[in-house]
Amino acid sequence: MKILVCVKQVPDMESRFQVQAGGTAIEEADLAFRVNEYDEFAIEEAVRLKEKLGEGSELTVLSLGPQRVAEAIKKALAMGCDQGIHILDTASRDPYQVASLIYQAVKDQDFEVIFTGMQSQDLGYAQTGLLLAELLGIEAVTTVVSFCQEGDGFLVQRELEGGQRMNLKLQAPALFTCQLGLNQPRYPTLPNIMKAKKKKITQLEAASLAPPAARSQTTSLRPPAKKGQAKFLEGDLGAMADQLVAELKAKSLI
Amino acid sequence: MVMKGSEFLVKEILPSEVFTPEDFSDEQKQIRDTTRDLVDNEILPQVEEIDSPNHQLVVEFLAKAGELGLLMMDPKEEDGGLGLDKSTVMLVAEEIAHTGSFSVAFAAHTGIGTLPLVYYGSQTLKDKYLEKIITGQWGAAFCLTEPNAGSDAMTVDTQATTEGDHYLLNGTKQFITNGGFAKLFTVFARLDKEHFTAFMVEKDFVGVSIGPEENKMGIKGSSTTQVIFDQVKVPKENLLGEIGKGHHIAFNVLNIGRIKLGAAVNGAAKEVLKTSVAYAKERKQFQHPISDFGAIQEKIADRTAQLFAAESLIYRITGDLDIALAEVPQDENYYKNYTKIIADYNGECAIAKVYCSEQLAAMVDEGLQIYGGYGFIKDYPAERFYRDERINRLFEGTNEINRLLLPDAILKKSLKGELPLQSLAMKAFEGLVNPSFDLPEETLFAKEFQVVKNTKQIFLVLAGAAVQKFQMALAKEQEVLMAVADVAIYIYALESALLRAAKHYNQASDKRKKLLAALVKVSTFNNLEALAQAAKKGAFYIEEGDNLTLLLSGIRRYGKYDASGLLQAKRTLAQSVIEQGKYPL
Repeated sequence: MKILVCVKQVPDMESRFQVQAGGTAIEEADLAFRVNEYDEFAIEEAVRLKEKLGEGSELTVLSLGPQRVAEAIKKALAMGCDQGIHILDTASRDPYQVASLIYQAVKDQDFEVIFTGMQSQDLGYAQTGLLLAELLGIEAVTTVVSFCQEGDGFLVQRELEGGQRMNLKLQAPALFTCQLGLNQPRYPTLPNIMKAKKKKITQLEAASLAPPAARSQTTSLRPPAKKGQAKFLEGDLGAMADQLVAELKAKSLI
Repeated sequence: MVMKGSEFLVKEILPSEVFTPEDFSDEQKQIRDTTRDLVDNEILPQVEEIDSPNHQLVVEFLAKAGELGLLMMDPKEEDGGLGLDKSTVMLVAEEIAHTGSFSVAFAAHTGIGTLPLVYYGSQTLKDKYLEKIITGQWGAAFCLTEPNAGSDAMTVDTQATTEGDHYLLNGTKQFITNGGFAKLFTVFARLDKEHFTAFMVEKDFVGVSIGPEENKMGIKGSSTTQVIFDQVKVPKENLLGEIGKGHHIAFNVLNIGRIKLGAAVNGAAKEVLKTSVAYAKERKQFQHPISDFGAIQEKIADRTAQLFAAESLIYRITGDLDIALAEVPQDENYYKNYTKIIADYNGECAIAKVYCSEQLAAMVDEGLQIYGGYGFIKDYPAERFYRDERINRLFEGTNEINRLLLPDAILKKSLKGELPLQSLAMKAFEGLVNPSFDLPEETLFAKEFQVVKNTKQIFLVLAGAAVQKFQMALAKEQEVLMAVADVAIYIYALESALLRAAKHYNQASDKRKKLLAALVKVSTFNNLEALAQAAKKGAFYIEEGDNLTLLLSGIRRYGKYDASGLLQAKRTLAQSVIEQGKYPL
């Protein structure tokens, strides 16, 4: 079985973010980057599937971005992916462009299972995976919290609003976007980190994949306005509950 | 070009020629991240439980570290290890250091516990023990110190005698880290009353017993016990290295241990800084977070600048070591030549141990001060940091022993003709009598590079005066030797910080440039002040009359530094730390 996992490299969420002079992008100069957390669930699930299938299965990791993105690909390789594809790109892209570039890079490779994160931690569009499935013409399941391969099909569970879960059964080829709770990603071991050095990473230039025009635009970017301070309720439990109800009613929240 | 051991005192090097933390490869960063994940997610939540003390938990985490490959960094691939470079080993030590007691167990296991076998073990011994050690199945410990042999380590009372097909071992070892759970000990003893020799001893050999746990001031979760050998039969094949060459093993393993201790205390200092700054941002007095106040900011700036110098010097040493070690031919003499290179850098190893441990000492002290009265209360982390720090100036050779061995290493190199100290000292003296006043060019950090050059002149005249005055009796003038050592230590520190900043300045963002410039200014000023004080003290110890006047005027002239903008630099530095809430690099 040919498996693909798509990952994004995002700024460390503990960084202090600043908006660039132009006002439409984040200043990247002194940021540390890491693999998007949701994509780590995707990598882990992909590696587990590969390990379960054993011989004959092949796992590819793909990422798009500037040179630094190689680090994210290497982490996925150290976690157990077999090879990497790096779409070299320095432009800022919207989800449709990203999905189109990935589509162009993988459309002839007949991947039967594709994993992505549910969304990225930095921009949080939650669209790239779905758009990619649409372009490939395959089924997609979002917010997957449980995944099981059986024969040539999959039993999956997805998270819905209000704590509900939905069970689904479907056949390959399919794409799954992975949600928190699906698994506990492994730490890459030192021997695997060193072995990953020998694994192949194919580089493709984004320009050679004919990126389409963007369908959305960032017009401005600014830090959220500072809101009023938190209010601490005091007194015994009953009094605090009464106070809380009164406050919520006053703000028309209940 | 790689500088050989102690050559920094007589040579200049380009910024591009030093290794720095900014140069880590993707693999090194990944190894750091794996270590960090283990530490943050699993060990840190259990730090209090480990300190309760719970040694079983230490054993379990060692095994976990073993599963991730963190115990197999040093041995070569053909011995089942990963053969990673020293810079990577230090990076891991830094991360593990956040865990306090566990860090001590880890460092003892992977360093003094494992390296004797790696560097000096026969194939038979490696086959027998190495896998168990590097997977964490067995704990390892190093038994050199005795109740009556601490700094004077060569005077051990533990005896080995040859008895037919084995040796018979008798004696008591003191303060053995990991003693309570280790299954394998590297034991130093006198063989046949004469030859200082190392042996590998299993805990399960008949006659080995473990003393009670010491009740320590800090690192309470690490195991520290006596190990007692009573008529222990040790198979002949368990003799490590060569008969009578045990001191080579001890010294070389300790050399690496000293750099590693340096890396570890730097890692600990980052944790202390982060915690103290978080508190300073939260604690309000006079309607302001105390991090707004200059008195607090100055502490943060000074400690960060020293940490920067400490971190820079560690990776400069390992960068040099890694290049030199990579060139050792892979033949039967590999480890012999390998350990020779490590021995060549024994001066730098001592510098790393002293400078970095004293850096942490200042950090925990000021960190606690930031907590004010709460720092004195056990519920706050500053108290543990303060207690845990203290051991670092004692073990792996006290800082006094390390200070004394530094000038000894330098002078020995000079006597062997490996360092042209004598001729350069003569020139430096001439310079004192006929000073030239070249103004530095207007290049990046020109003033600071001039300071580095000048401080090397201070070293030459001071060390030169000491040798001339005391000649062979210098070895007995410990106060003089320690002053000379301090001068060398501060030179290495301020030069390493400067080289690192200069190496990356041009590629840095504007914000980072300001930070680097501030670090350079504060580090140069503080290290130079400390250096000048040591040099002056040394001058008064060594000389009198006209010679003293000449020496002091030289120190004054070579110790000059125009640190205009120092206050602003400290504020820039402190604000950067406060803004990021951590060590800002």
